[in-house]
Amino acid sequence: MPVWKKAGNIVLSTPQNLKESIEKDISMVLIDLRKAGDAKKEHIKGAVSVLAEGISKAKDKFPADKKAPIVLYAGDTKSAFDSFKNVRGWGYTNTSVLSGGIEAWKNAGNPVEGGELKTDIVYVPKPRPGEITVEEFKKIAETLPSDKLILDVKDVDEATEGMLVGAKNIPTQDIQARLSEIPKDKEIIAYCNTGVRAEMAYHILKDAGYKARFLNANLKIDKNGKYEISKE
Amino acid sequence: MGKKGRVLTIVAIFVIAGLFLSNSTGIAQAEKPKIAPPCKQCHQPNEKILRGTFAGVSQKAWTIQIQIGPATWLVKWDDDTELIGAEGFSKIPKDKEIAIAIEEKNGMLYAKSLSVKPPAKVPAEKLMKADELAKLVEMGTEKGNFMLVDSRPALRYNESFIPGAINIYDAEFDKNIDKLPKEKSKLLIFYCAGET
Repeated sequence: MPVWKKAGNIVLSTPQNLKESIEKDISMVLIDLRKAGDAKKEHIKGAVSVLAEGISKAKDKFPADKKAPIVLYAGDTKSAFDSFKNVRGWGYTNTSVLSGGIEAWKNAGNPVEGGELKTDIVYVPKPRPGEITVEEFKKIAETLPSDKLILDVKDVDEATEGMLVGAKNIPTQDIQARLSEIPKDKEIIAYCNTGVRAEMAYHILKDAGYKARFLNANLKIDKNGKYEISKE
Repeated sequence: MGKKGRVLTIVAIFVIAGLFLSNSTGIAQAEKPKIAPPCKQCHQPNEKILRGTFAGVSQKAWTIQIQIGPATWLVKWDDDTELIGAEGFSKIPKDKEIAIAIEEKNGMLYAKSLSVKPPAKVPAEKLMKADELAKLVEMGTEKGNFMLVDSRPALRYNESFIPGAINIYDAEFDKNIDKLPKEKSKLLIFYCAGET
């Protein structure tokens, strides 16, 4: 995937992803590429109108942060491809096309709304719910306070390759079945190697009544527990 | 009955005793596995091979320690023990996956050879370059006659995937075999978050 993305090839995202991003209030840019009339009739909440025909001149509207997640949608998948190439060409690495366009969005039972769309893009990056800052994570990893438990949610064979000192290993997919091993009186700080499984673990733990947070970053750990954290 | 009956009875007793004995050693073996669970993904259990991780070597006692699940085995070695995949016994990293071919010698387990797991490698002819894939993707899965599988967790797939790809998370691959095409000759292309 990284090679595919780096080469600037088309990347799609699912309606499910958009739905979750909206529900979780995750910072992103959502662009409706369709004609003003269609968009006005019905569009996805929060979308900004940038016409596909005029997108090559709209560069200045886009956020300064090239890592901003940008989702482009049209009536179907392919109608957004040219716009994708434009936006991706400006260096926005996390651009994707909504798979199936607004039709697939609606078919999945998601709501649309009518009315005027905004034409200015506003992007304010904010952490994902449950995300711990890298600084605080480091501090906890160094001092291992007694009211926190660091949980390594990688698979067992990955964890044997390298785990943080003082961490406990329960793979994400086993957490539900092994909740009895996780103390209720501590805050659980989950990590994996990219942040994805840690976020899944965070949701499982939260739903099970735990106080939890997760590290949303790349984490490399060697055999001795020495680690390196990098944000995407 | 008579003589024949008695002989049969005696044979039966031996058979039962034999069953009992082999059974009890069977239990002992079950307690101390010869193959670690992760090794089973690619290797069949084999009575003559221990598969696990390297736990240590003693140059004085001439023993190798291999960890297999919860069990530790001690195996004797000497200058005739063949070493494959490492320059010296002391050079094997701790917890490295190893296999030891064993035999019994003077009532002790003896290592005929020890091989260190080579790095996993996909042969070059099985790798597809991104630009080749781009051509296929352009064609579409139907016309190009291939299936593209994203092996990452659903969360990652949802936020970015290659057009035409379906999602089968690697950790759940075994229970999703039915999502693979029925025609086994169809080209299957997998991708994940790897950088290779």
